[in-house]
Amino acid sequence: MENLILHNDVAEVPMLAAWVEELGEELGLDMPEVFQLNLALEEAAVNVMNYAYEGEGLIKLSVSSNGQEIVFVMEDEGKEFDPTKVKDPDITLSAEKREIGGLGIFLVQQFMESMAYSRKDGKNVLTMIYKKK
Amino acid sequence: MTLEITQKEDQVVAKLIGRLDTAASQQFSIDMQPLMDNADKKILMDCTDLDFISSSGLRLFLALRKETISKGGSITIKGVSPEIKQVFTITGFYSLFIFE
Repeated sequence: MENLILHNDVAEVPMLAAWVEELGEELGLDMPEVFQLNLALEEAAVNVMNYAYEGEGLIKLSVSSNGQEIVFVMEDEGKEFDPTKVKDPDITLSAEKREIGGLGIFLVQQFMESMAYSRKDGKNVLTMIYKKK
Repeated sequence: MTLEITQKEDQVVAKLIGRLDTAASQQFSIDMQPLMDNADKKILMDCTDLDFISSSGLRLFLALRKETISKGGSITIKGVSPEIKQVFTITGFYSLFIFE
């Protein structure tokens, strides 16, 4: 399982998707699991791409697995931001009242078993654990 | 990501093909302008060949839904995969659209 380095450019999202596909094959994940990981990791990465850096910057994603759980660690050197503190959107509102946006981090939390944030050596470190079925 | 728009009598049919991820959403927001312009009509979103959607894609679905509300049209979605349906359900988007 190789690490992935992305630039803070949403045009690189397909590289993440290809990486998740490969990971899925390696770990024997089924299609719904690959879909969920794709979605959660894209949302976490896009959040960094859109907000962490003023100029160019990198996102490092590493992975490890013990068979039952897959642990993803996403790091960036952008400004301090703790996504676990983001308020959940109100998903019960009507279409008229719903705000456009605010779903990204919510989706990460829905599909990952857990999400933990720390700030280490000037880096944002987001640890996400996915539980296989 | 490809968007094919055709007009059938009083209905506008939009066929979505491929992955509506954050990278594709930027182009999609431009390609969907004819749908925004036709938001006073019945719009059928055919998602049979839609493989993936993320929040940036959902955002565009919501923008179009808001437009149909203000212009008096409607959106029906058909053919979503179980995975995409789950995304609509978890986010509360399922109740904002008509599904067939």
